[in-house]
Amino acid sequence: MAQPVFPIALCALLLLSACSPPPKVSRQTHPLPAGVDIARSEIGRSGGVFIDSSPGEPSTFNPLVSEDATSGGFIGLFLDSLVHNNAVTQEVEPGLAARWDIAPDNRTFTFHLRPGVLWSDGHPFSADDVLFTFQAIYDPRFPNRAAFDLSVDGQKFKVEKIDDLTVRLTTPQIYAPFLETVGGVGLLPKHELEPAFRDGTLLKSWNVSVAQKEPQRLLATGAFRLRSYQPAERIVFEANPHYWRADAQGVRLPYVDFLVTKLVKDANASTLAFATGQTDAEGLSPDNVAWIDRYASRYGFSVFNRGPSPNTGFIWFNQNPGHDTAGKPFVTPYKLAWFTDRRFRQAISHGIDRQGLVRGVLFGRGQPLWGPETPANKKWYNPNVTQYPYDPARSRALLAEAGFQIGPDQKLHDRQGNLVEFTLNSNQENQLRVNMATAFKENMRDLGITVNLSFLDFGTLVGKIQDSYDYEAGMLGLTGGGDPAGGISVFSSKGRLHQWYPNQKTPATPWEARIDQLMSDQLHTLDYPTRKKYFDEVQKIMSDETPFIYLVTANAYVGIKDRWKNIRIPPLGSLVWNLDELWTPLLTP
Amino acid sequence: MIPFILRRLTTLVPMLLAVTLLVFILMSLAPGDFLTPVKAQRDINPALIAELQKSFGLDRPWYQQYALWLGNVLHLDFGYSWTYKVPVAQLIAQRAPATILLSITSLLLAWTLAIPLAVLAAARPGGWIDRLTSAAAYFALAIPEFFLALLAVWMAARTGWFPIGGLTSLDYDFLSPAAQFLDIAHHLILPTLVLGLGGVAGTLRVLRANVLDVLQAEYITAARAKGLSEKVVLFRHVLRNALNPLLSTIGYAFAGLLSGSLLVENVMNYPGLGRLVYEAFIREDQFVVLGSVVVACSLLIVGNLLSDLALAWSDPRVRYGR
Repeated sequence: MAQPVFPIALCALLLLSACSPPPKVSRQTHPLPAGVDIARSEIGRSGGVFIDSSPGEPSTFNPLVSEDATSGGFIGLFLDSLVHNNAVTQEVEPGLAARWDIAPDNRTFTFHLRPGVLWSDGHPFSADDVLFTFQAIYDPRFPNRAAFDLSVDGQKFKVEKIDDLTVRLTTPQIYAPFLETVGGVGLLPKHELEPAFRDGTLLKSWNVSVAQKEPQRLLATGAFRLRSYQPAERIVFEANPHYWRADAQGVRLPYVDFLVTKLVKDANASTLAFATGQTDAEGLSPDNVAWIDRYASRYGFSVFNRGPSPNTGFIWFNQNPGHDTAGKPFVTPYKLAWFTDRRFRQAISHGIDRQGLVRGVLFGRGQPLWGPETPANKKWYNPNVTQYPYDPARSRALLAEAGFQIGPDQKLHDRQGNLVEFTLNSNQENQLRVNMATAFKENMRDLGITVNLSFLDFGTLVGKIQDSYDYEAGMLGLTGGGDPAGGISVFSSKGRLHQWYPNQKTPATPWEARIDQLMSDQLHTLDYPTRKKYFDEVQKIMSDETPFIYLVTANAYVGIKDRWKNIRIPPLGSLVWNLDELWTPLLTP
Repeated sequence: MIPFILRRLTTLVPMLLAVTLLVFILMSLAPGDFLTPVKAQRDINPALIAELQKSFGLDRPWYQQYALWLGNVLHLDFGYSWTYKVPVAQLIAQRAPATILLSITSLLLAWTLAIPLAVLAAARPGGWIDRLTSAAAYFALAIPEFFLALLAVWMAARTGWFPIGGLTSLDYDFLSPAAQFLDIAHHLILPTLVLGLGGVAGTLRVLRANVLDVLQAEYITAARAKGLSEKVVLFRHVLRNALNPLLSTIGYAFAGLLSGSLLVENVMNYPGLGRLVYEAFIREDQFVVLGSVVVACSLLIVGNLLSDLALAWSDPRVRYGR
C-alpha cells in the first residue's frame, strides 16, 4: 500500500515545525498597581511554557457551579480571592485584600483592598465586585456550595461596602474557619456578570462552551487568564498582563508566558505523559515512583517525596441500630452487639499488621495511621492518639474479655456460640484498597474470624452506606487535611458521613456527645491554641473508641523537571504552590 | 419519492421512543446516580445535595422524569448536561466535528482502498493480488478494533513517528494555519487506520464476491463481445452493478463507525463524541446519554435512508414511492 511514504514525509515536515523555537511573546506592559505585592522569592527571568496534564476535564469555569477539584483548580488560576491559604505554611496570607482588621467582637472583619488592581480587561477591581460576589452566592436562584460554607447555622454573613476599597463582613456568631473559607471564594467581575445575574442565567455563564468560544470573557484577577480551551485536548492559560504581583526588581509576575494543561483520560495516561518527558510536573502515587525514577536523568526531572498524603484509609462496622421500612434490622442484632462493643473494635485494630500493609501494598512508601488526620495536616495533626500496634495476643485477650472464644473448629464464636463472620464491602475501582482488603482478610483469619470480601461499584457502595444501610462493614478512604470545620459531617453524630451510624437525632453514646460538643466549641472561637486543644481531643476520642479503624496513609510524591526554579511544593493540595514565581533559565524544553 | 422519505422518517418516532425508554429504565436501575460522587465528599452540606436533587428532578420516580424529558424534547429541548451545565445539543455539537472528521476519513480510506483492490482481485481470481488481499483481509478482520488501537498506541510510543493520541499537538495554538492542517493530518493517520482497516477488509470481501458474480452475467459477455476494453468493462459495467449491495449497507457502516469510534476514541485519547458519551455513561449524566442515543439512532435511520436513495440513483431499476 502507498501509505508508508506519506507519513514519513509528513513526519519530516512536522519535525521541522516542532523544532522551531517557541513563539516570541511580547507581553503587554501596563504600569504596576499602587497596591502591588512584591514577591520575596528569588528573582527570575520572564518567559517559558509550563506544561502539565490533568486526568479529568473541567466541568465548568464558573465558581458557583464547580463541585469538583479539577474545575476548582482551573478556576483558582484566574480568579483570585480576598485572602490566600498558603498551602506550605497553612497560614492565611493577603490576596486581593492587602490587609484586614478583626474587631474585638471577633465577628467583624474589615478588608482593605489593594488600590489600583485591574481586571484582565483593564476595568478596575473594587468593593462592588466583592459585594456582587456575595450577592450572587446568597441568591436562592443559584444554589451553590459556597452559600452553605459561608453561613453559620443557616444564617448568612453581613456584607457592607465602606468605600470603594473597603469591605466589612460580619458573621452572625463567631465562626472559626472564616478567613480560610473566605480565602476560597473567587471574586466575580460585576461589570461582566451582572446581566446574567439579573436575568437569572448566572449558573449558565462561564460554562465550557463560553470558555471554548470566547475565552477572553472569563475575566481574571489571578496570575493567569484563559487563552484557549479545546475540550478533551488542552487548556492554555497565558500570563495576566494586569496581575498585581511583581518581583523585587519590579518585573510583573508570573514569569512564565503560558501554562498548558494536556487533558488526558485517566491518571495512568497522565503519569505516562510525565514519565516520557512530555509534561513538567506530575503527582505520583507510591506504586509508580520506582519505575518513573529510572527515567529521571533521561528527561531531566526529579521526584520529590511530599511526605504523608492527607488521604486516610479505614475500616468501620455498621453500628446503626435502626431497621428498614419492612421492620428488618439493618444489622443482625447479635452482630450489632459485637460491632458496638469497643473491645471488639480494638481487638480487630490490634489484629491488623499495618507495617505489613505498608510493605506489601505501598512498597514501603507510607506509614501506619492511628487517627483521623495524617501528619500532612501539620497545623491540626495530633500525634498523641492511641495506637494499636500489631499484637494478635492482645487481640485475643481483648476478645476473650468481651466473651468471645475459639471453638473446637478453630473459629471464633461469641458468648451465644454464633460464629464470628462478617462481610467487608469496598469499591472495586481502587486497586490499592482491594489489596488492603485481601491482606486484612488474612490477618483476621489468624484470629479465627471469617471475613468475606465484597467489591462493589462505587455508586452501589455509597448507596449502601448512605441510604439503605444494609451492610456489615466497609472500607473506604477520605481526604482529610485543612481546617477541622471540614470534618464536621464525619465527626458530628448528626453528620452525613458519620458512617458507622449517620444522621443521628441524638448522640447514641456519651463519647459521640462529647465529640459533638467539641466540634461545636472549636467552631465558635478564633483562638488557634483553644481550637487545637478541642480538635486534639476529638482525634484522641476517635482513636480510643475506634469507630473508624484507621489503616495506613500513603506518601505523596511529585515529579518536576529540573529546569524550573523557585519551586515550592506544599505537603497537600496542588503540586506547585507558587506557579506565579516559577521561572526557568532554559526556555526550550 | 417525497412520500417515501417522509414515511421512512416517521418510523424514527416509535423507534426513538422505545430506545430512549429502555435507556431511561436501564439507567434508573443502575446503582447510584449523578450525585453519588458528590455525596461521598465530606464537606458538602446535605441541604445542598437535597437542593441539587430537586433541581435535577432526581427526587422523582423515573417515569415522571421521562415524561418531563419527553415534554421538553417536543419543544426541541434535549435538556442540559448536569456535569457541564451546557445544553446537550450544544455539547454534542462541540464534540461531533472531531468524530465526523474521523468517520469520514475512515470511510474514505475503506472505499478508496477496497474498491480498486476488490475489482483487481476479482478480475483474476486466484491471482497474486487476489491471494494477497484475501490474506490481508482475513488478518484485518481477525483483529478486534480495540486491540488494533492498543497496538497503534504502542507503536506510536515506541517509534515516535506518530503522536500518542489526541487530535492536535500541545503547541497547536502557536502554529501557522498550514502547520495546523498538517498537525491534524498527522494526528488523524493512526485513528483512521485503526477504524478504517476493518472497513477495508469487510468491503473488500463483499465487493470481490459481487464483482465475481456480475462477471458471470450475460451482459458482461455482451459488452466484451462488443469489443469494449477490459478496463471499461470492469469499471463501468461490472463495478456499477456490483456496488449496489454495498450502497445499501453504507448506512449501517456509518452508524457502525460511530459506535466503533467510541472504543477507538477512548483508547486513543481522541477528543470526539465517543469520549464524551463514555464519560457521561460513567457519571450517569442522564440527558447527555439520552441525547447521544437519539443522535446514534437518527444517524442509523437517516444513514439507511440515504443509502436507499443512493441505490435508486445508481440503479435505474430501483424506484420508490408506489
